[in-house]
Amino acid sequence: MDILVYIFNILIFPGFLFCFFFGLLLSGIDRKLVARMQRRIGPPVFQPFYDFFKLIGKGHIIPRGAAKKTFMLAPIIGLLGVVIISMFIPIFGYVFIPRTADMIVILYLLTVPAVALILGGSSSGSPYSGVGISREMVTMLSYELPLVIILLAVGSKVGHSLGEIGNVTFSLSKVAEYQSKNGMLICSLSMIPAAIAFLLCIPAEVGTVPFDVAEAETEICEGPLVEYSGKYLALYKLMSAIKMFIMGSLFVALFFGGTGFGTGIKFLPLNTLLMMILVIITISISVSFLRAIVARIKVEHTLKFFWTVPTALAFVSLILTYVTTL
Amino acid sequence: MFNRLIEKSRAKSPWIYHVNSGSCNGCDIELVALLGPRYDCERLGIKLAGSPRHADIVVVTGPITSQSKDRVLRVLSQVPEPKVVVSLGSCPMSCNVFKGSYSVEGPLDKWTHVDVSVGGCAPKPEAIIDGLIKAIEILKEKRGLNNV
Amino acid sequence: MSKFPFAGEALKSLFKAPLTEKYPLTPKESPEKYRGKIKFDANACIGCGLCIRVCSPNAITKLVDTVEEGQNITMKFDLGSCTFCGYCADFCHQNAIELTQEYSMVVTDKNDMIVSGSFIKKLPQKKPVPQKKATESK
Repeated sequence: MDILVYIFNILIFPGFLFCFFFGLLLSGIDRKLVARMQRRIGPPVFQPFYDFFKLIGKGHIIPRGAAKKTFMLAPIIGLLGVVIISMFIPIFGYVFIPRTADMIVILYLLTVPAVALILGGSSSGSPYSGVGISREMVTMLSYELPLVIILLAVGSKVGHSLGEIGNVTFSLSKVAEYQSKNGMLICSLSMIPAAIAFLLCIPAEVGTVPFDVAEAETEICEGPLVEYSGKYLALYKLMSAIKMFIMGSLFVALFFGGTGFGTGIKFLPLNTLLMMILVIITISISVSFLRAIVARIKVEHTLKFFWTVPTALAFVSLILTYVTTL
Repeated sequence: MFNRLIEKSRAKSPWIYHVNSGSCNGCDIELVALLGPRYDCERLGIKLAGSPRHADIVVVTGPITSQSKDRVLRVLSQVPEPKVVVSLGSCPMSCNVFKGSYSVEGPLDKWTHVDVSVGGCAPKPEAIIDGLIKAIEILKEKRGLNNV
Repeated sequence: MSKFPFAGEALKSLFKAPLTEKYPLTPKESPEKYRGKIKFDANACIGCGLCIRVCSPNAITKLVDTVEEGQNITMKFDLGSCTFCGYCADFCHQNAIELTQEYSMVVTDKNDMIVSGSFIKKLPQKKPVPQKKATESK
């Protein structure tokens, strides 16, 4: 019976099928919002679905200078990593795999899609993809640092009040329980800098403007994905769409969590609907709005930006949790 | 049923790749104007792809000059099937005023099969939209290599 | 907020109507005096060939066929080679060439882009040449 529930979780909800539909829908909403902000009509909301199925029906060409098996396996590795993360994030108190140190597992698994991009790019055997993967490595270095400090800040705030060992907790289910008793974490003053820093880290993880030097379209012919076509490209696009969903869902679980806005409702479909609405609002602020008004920044500036502004904000949050009980 | 889904998606999401083989840039400016807010071609699902391996429709401008002929043919061979070649403007159709020059190799259909030709010097963006819609119809009929 | 000058405008544009002209659904007229597709009036032409001399991409050809009443002249305008400069219409003193406002010329076969017209040109009657009076008689 347990095995059946696990298989249902992996394949249908919140595993593969739910991530597939909601990730592509989120990517479509993002494109439509950006178009409206630029006073255009924009593509229909289901456009990424058409893109995905068209790419599956297209022929694929594997270049002669490419490492064949890595070329074919890299997108599958990225997709598996991203789908596994979705099982660790609680949806408003309903936890699928309760563990004591969820946050550390999520932090490690979040590097898997980026590494899959690097693997795919380096096995293509093209100089454009070489430039693309070196830029992707620098971007990865730059956003990991603020992300770790943000998770530490949230964990220490919850750990202080629960009296954990070392006053830090790494379990997302404990964060959800704390929020259901004491209100959402974003309402407490010491967590607001951490929330702003997390909102700034989302575009870098997802790979959209202004931090998308790795996949610069017109500059280096799409960077690591230059030699991909057909079904492998479809898997890469799916991977980046699901990553958008994962980051939004992590933000909602960390800062807007609890069980249904403090009402204690534990009805799963209603919680899921609430989570979806909040994820759409988060993504539209941090990804779409930023994409419509800013241009791409260079890779040196990316590193300099991430190691100063979001890091400072997250440190402020961390120090505030030790000093006060706000 | 899966085949019908793929065929419907092929018509709703054509991606373009633009190759300029020695043109005066007039037709390129009109093509790029298509992506702005006034003639928004993204509502038809059209997106400018960064690499020829991602594209369905290849739009070629300019008379084929001697220096760019090999490269244009190489880029055209890197586009996976099913693909449609559109020649934009009167330069790829017949080299316009550059006929007989020492560095111009000839019209595009001397070297590869051209599906749709859009006339004009430079064609209006609405005429380019007409040409792209006709190219999408031709794309719906073609089948990919793995016959889905 | 000087680093994000378009932020306010982006938020306001979210609630305004889009500016797009939905082309295939709503038809579009090109402006007056637009130099579009060529219309050739074969009855006004006299076959002088001035348009051929002025055309910069050499897009106009004239084919002459002898028939019993005179000559059958066919003028072909290759629109796949035309720059739409309008010189042929300016120089034609019979006003046989007109550039209309039609802008949409999309074909799958290149031969569909040729505009042609033919007319029969009656040659003038040749007057008999008067015989030279023989000055020397044998």
